[in-house]
Amino acid sequence: MTVITLLTLSCTKSPNVGIHQNKETGLLTYTVKNNGLSIEFIQLLPDFIRAIYGSHQFPSDEIETIASFCVFGTIIKNTSNGSVSYHVADWHFVSDGKKHPVKTKTQWIEQWRQAGINFSWTLLPDVSHFEVGDWQQGFTTIETMRKKPFDLVYTWKMNGEEHTSTIKNMACAPATLSENE
Amino acid sequence: MMRMVIFLSHALTLIALLLPTAIADTARERPRLGHQLTALNAPVTAPDFQLMDMDEVIHSLGNNKGKVVLVNFWATWCPPCRREMPSMERLYQDLKDKNFTLFAINQMEDPDHVFAYTGQLEVDPTFTLLFDTTSEAAHAYNVNGLPTTYLIDKLGKIRYRAVGGREFDHLEVQTLIENLINE
Repeated sequence: MTVITLLTLSCTKSPNVGIHQNKETGLLTYTVKNNGLSIEFIQLLPDFIRAIYGSHQFPSDEIETIASFCVFGTIIKNTSNGSVSYHVADWHFVSDGKKHPVKTKTQWIEQWRQAGINFSWTLLPDVSHFEVGDWQQGFTTIETMRKKPFDLVYTWKMNGEEHTSTIKNMACAPATLSENE
Repeated sequence: MMRMVIFLSHALTLIALLLPTAIADTARERPRLGHQLTALNAPVTAPDFQLMDMDEVIHSLGNNKGKVVLVNFWATWCPPCRREMPSMERLYQDLKDKNFTLFAINQMEDPDHVFAYTGQLEVDPTFTLLFDTTSEAAHAYNVNGLPTTYLIDKLGKIRYRAVGGREFDHLEVQTLIENLINE
C-alpha cells in the first residue's frame, strides 16, 4: 500500500514550471522538465495562426476557427536515456472547475478534410513515441475564453511508466500585441 | 485590385516564412541540436518514391540502390528544419563523393515558395530538394511530425531514424554513414 502511495505521489508531484517572458512581445513560454520529458508551451498570437494557415490557402472560416482557439507552439523532447511517449487525447485542461479535452490533430484533420482541406501538418502529433534524442514541435489548441486562465494537465510514459503534470494558471496569448502593453 | 491581392498574398507568405523562426528564436536562445540517431532493431525496406525537384526532374529512391541515402522530411514553416539544414549541407559536401546522397523532401509547398526560403538560409543547399505535394511519401514513411529523417542503407533498408532536428555533420553521424557505405 505504501509503495503504491509513494508511486502515485511521485507521478503526480507538481512540476517546477519555468515562465519566460519575451522582452519584445511580452508573450510567455511555459517550460517544464521532469521524468524524462521536457515540454515548452509558447503563446502564439491569433494573427500568427492566421498567417500560417492563410499561407496554406485555408478558407477564411477555418482560419478564424483555429485562430479563435488558444494556440501554443509546443516543443516536446525526450530527455531520458530510454523511450518516451505521449497521447494528446489523454490530456485535458481545467477551467472554472470543469475538465475539458484538448482538441487533437486527428480531430482537426477530420474537420479540415470535411471542408476539402488536404493539409495535415503544423499541429502537434496526437501520438508520438520518442527514442533517445528525439523531439518534436507543433501547435497545441485549447478551446477556451482568451482571458480566462486554466490548468493544463498532460501525461506521458517514460519506459512504460505513466507520469502526469499540471501547469497551473496558464494564460492564452492576447488577441493582439497591443493588449500586452 | 488584383495587384493589391497579389501584394497581400506575398506579404502573408513572407510573414508565414519569417514568423515561426522569429518567434522560436526570440522566445529564447535555443539549445544546440543533438546528433543521436535511433538504430532500428529490425530494418525495414524503405518505401520507394518518385518526386520532382526544383527543375521538375523526377528522382526516385529506387534509382539510388547501392548508395547510402539520407531522406529528410521538412517544410519551410518548421523552425528545426531550418536549423538542421546547414548541417545537412555540410554533411553532403563531406560525403557526396563517397556513394552517399541526400534528399530533403518538402511537404505540400510550391517550388517558388521554397526557392524564396532557401535564399534566406545561411548556406544555400546543393543537395536535392524534392516536392511531396500531397504528403504521400511522408505518409508512406509514417512521418507524423517534421522534421523526421531516415538513414537508408545500400540495399534500400531503413537503418536509422531521427525525429526532430539534428546536427547531421556531427562526427558520430558521419561515422555511422561511412560504416554503412563500407558494408
